[in-house]
Amino acid sequence: MVKSNRSALGIIFPNSYDALVPELVNVRMMASIPFASRYRLIDFILSSMTQSNIHNISVMVNNNYHSLMDHLDSGREWDLVRKNGGLHIFPPFAEKESKPYVGRVGAMAGILDFLRDQKEEYVVIADTNVVVNFDFKALIKAHIEKGADVTIAYNEQEFPEGLMKSQSNDKGFYYTFNIEDGRVTRIFVNPREEGVQNFSMNISVLRRELLIDLINTAFVHGQEYFERDVLLPRLNKLNVQAYKYEGYVARISDIKSYFDENMRLLDDYNLDALFSGHTVYTKIRDDTPTRYVEGAKVQNVMAADGCLIEGDVENSVLFRGVKVAKGAKVKNSILMQGTVIEAGASVEYLVADKNVTIRAGKEMKGTDTFPVYIAKFRTV
Amino acid sequence: MAKEMIAMLLAGGQGSRLYALTEKLAKPAVPFGGKYRIIDFPLSNCVNSGIDTVGILTQYQPLVLNEYIGNGQPWDLDRLYGGVHVLPPYQKASGSDWYKGTANAIYQNISFIERYDPQYVIILSGDQICKQDYSDFLKFHKEKGAEFSVAVMEVPWEEASRFGLMVAGEDDRITEFQEKPKEPKSNLASMGIYIFNWDILKKYLEEDEADPESENDFGNNIIPNLLRDNRKMYAYHFDGYWKDVGTISSLWEANMEVLDPEHSGINLFDEDWKIYSRNSGMTGHKICSGAVVENSMLTDGCRIKGTVKHSILFAGVRVEKGAVVEDAVIMGNTVVKAGAVVQHCIVAENVTIGENAVVGAMPSGDEKGVATVGDGVTIGDGAKVGPNAMVRNNIEGGEEQW
Repeated sequence: MVKSNRSALGIIFPNSYDALVPELVNVRMMASIPFASRYRLIDFILSSMTQSNIHNISVMVNNNYHSLMDHLDSGREWDLVRKNGGLHIFPPFAEKESKPYVGRVGAMAGILDFLRDQKEEYVVIADTNVVVNFDFKALIKAHIEKGADVTIAYNEQEFPEGLMKSQSNDKGFYYTFNIEDGRVTRIFVNPREEGVQNFSMNISVLRRELLIDLINTAFVHGQEYFERDVLLPRLNKLNVQAYKYEGYVARISDIKSYFDENMRLLDDYNLDALFSGHTVYTKIRDDTPTRYVEGAKVQNVMAADGCLIEGDVENSVLFRGVKVAKGAKVKNSILMQGTVIEAGASVEYLVADKNVTIRAGKEMKGTDTFPVYIAKFRTV
Repeated sequence: MAKEMIAMLLAGGQGSRLYALTEKLAKPAVPFGGKYRIIDFPLSNCVNSGIDTVGILTQYQPLVLNEYIGNGQPWDLDRLYGGVHVLPPYQKASGSDWYKGTANAIYQNISFIERYDPQYVIILSGDQICKQDYSDFLKFHKEKGAEFSVAVMEVPWEEASRFGLMVAGEDDRITEFQEKPKEPKSNLASMGIYIFNWDILKKYLEEDEADPESENDFGNNIIPNLLRDNRKMYAYHFDGYWKDVGTISSLWEANMEVLDPEHSGINLFDEDWKIYSRNSGMTGHKICSGAVVENSMLTDGCRIKGTVKHSILFAGVRVEKGAVVEDAVIMGNTVVKAGAVVQHCIVAENVTIGENAVVGAMPSGDEKGVATVGDGVTIGDGAKVGPNAMVRNNIEGGEEQW
């Protein structure tokens, strides 16, 4: 009899891979980057967990986390206000001489006492740079059936250009696997090979007791990264199983892929693929519906509530409360919450961060390979 | 700890003139304005006016309303002391009774009100579209030293005889009340929103209950009794947008007015007076290539491939290729299939309108009917629904209903 997965708790690392998108994380972190017109990246993994019956979730914030605290608040929107479990946000434990940790090992070493006190048998861990509507029940079931020590989810995909381009290791580590009969036999760290690979999604499950042991040992030895420093050296001793994920995956690996992954959702097929699983919850803003006035021209657009559209919009993703005035033209752009495009302005291949204003008559144009990014609160 | 003022919201109305829309739900739960239900307006007004305790009196088909209100969190009315409470009629040691009238509904909940020991009680109606600051109203009530105040609207004299009218002097003191009179002496229509001093209200409710002849109604019994006793009664003038959406045509009209905030006086887009509602949780709406969307409001989950003009679409509505939606109110999760033409009508939730079907028609001459399609109905391919039709049951493909 397979045990119910009611006995899993979740740990999310919202800062990992921040360095891949320096523009977008200037005032926030990976987890709180707006995505798909009304969400933040963390909404996907968080909603996946809660709807897979995981109701004890720890978010290991490291830095720049005010935006995420604001977004998550008490966790109510994800049904995480619970007497048992619920949402825990763990900032780094600061001491006089210590710097904040890097990597998952340091993060989890800081909450070992908490982990020891929990009742859940399993732990699932995940980052927020991979947008998925993930069924953790299925992952845990596979883990138990295979009698694995650790199970890691992966998908088969081309190596993202953004990662190929990053020449140094200071942007975080990413991993591909060799797999034999479902077992991970080799882990490659920051590989440079082209073509389709078994690409780690950094979503794992293991027993809580085992995690505590592994982290304890690794931390004592000054190690930092879970995959590189804990799993890789132990592939012979531990049964590390690979779990192939065949659902829709959007990976954010640089600003270009951020742009592309938003745009990809303009295709109904992709939109349905990402949203056909669990409902994805997010913070509620209580906007009015979006209003399109007489004379507005809109083609191939995804928009959230609270927008006022008077001009022309084509092939674009509009977040909440965007205003496009009369005679303004918006093409192939991503306009985050509160962007204002004034009368007669024209933008193309633009990523406008929150509350950007493009003044009347101005033009801003990027190209398909290089979208222009404008920082939060800037006025052009 | 006493509350200064609590609200009692009358939400028991069947809304029988809305027919197909209120078969399965009470009128206050009828969807409005793209993502709201009618009751969101008085509830949001309460919160925005600083009232944190609301009793909702339900009777007719309360299921949808109960679920919708839940713990009151979307309106910020989940409070440790106070908050929102749904109050259906209940059984007492002395027997049980349905709410016999508006006054009786409050009478049966005297013990609820007394838990909060309020100085004032505001009585609200759950079937009006209105953005109103009740704290202004209370200020007026206090300044006048009133025992009872009623919010009134000036209406055109020629229409006055359709309303309950308050005759008031220069100082706003009410001297007479006329219920739908043939010869109106005033054009101040009661909005059915009252503030009472709680001790006065309680006294008159108990007196009213003891009178076997009474209809237990505020307009017909309580107010005349207050007048009889020469109580300090005042009329508070309200000049904002107010609409009783009691009929299909007024409901349709009010929705259309939302599309024209510049002229209609109802501005839902005002950040300082938000109307709250329970969220659909759907993803952003999508307008596909080849679609036309003009002068309309769309919300989460809508997917548009056809033409949408001068219409309000609720969450999850799909309009397929070649379909035309015009002057229409289309409620949640309804699907308008390819080639269908849907005009000048109200279509309720979860309706399927088949391919090339025709629902309603644009007004021509004296023909201004608003076709209505009830919850969950399927209209077959090529079927036709006339401009005055009220559809409650499925219509087979190719058939017509006028």
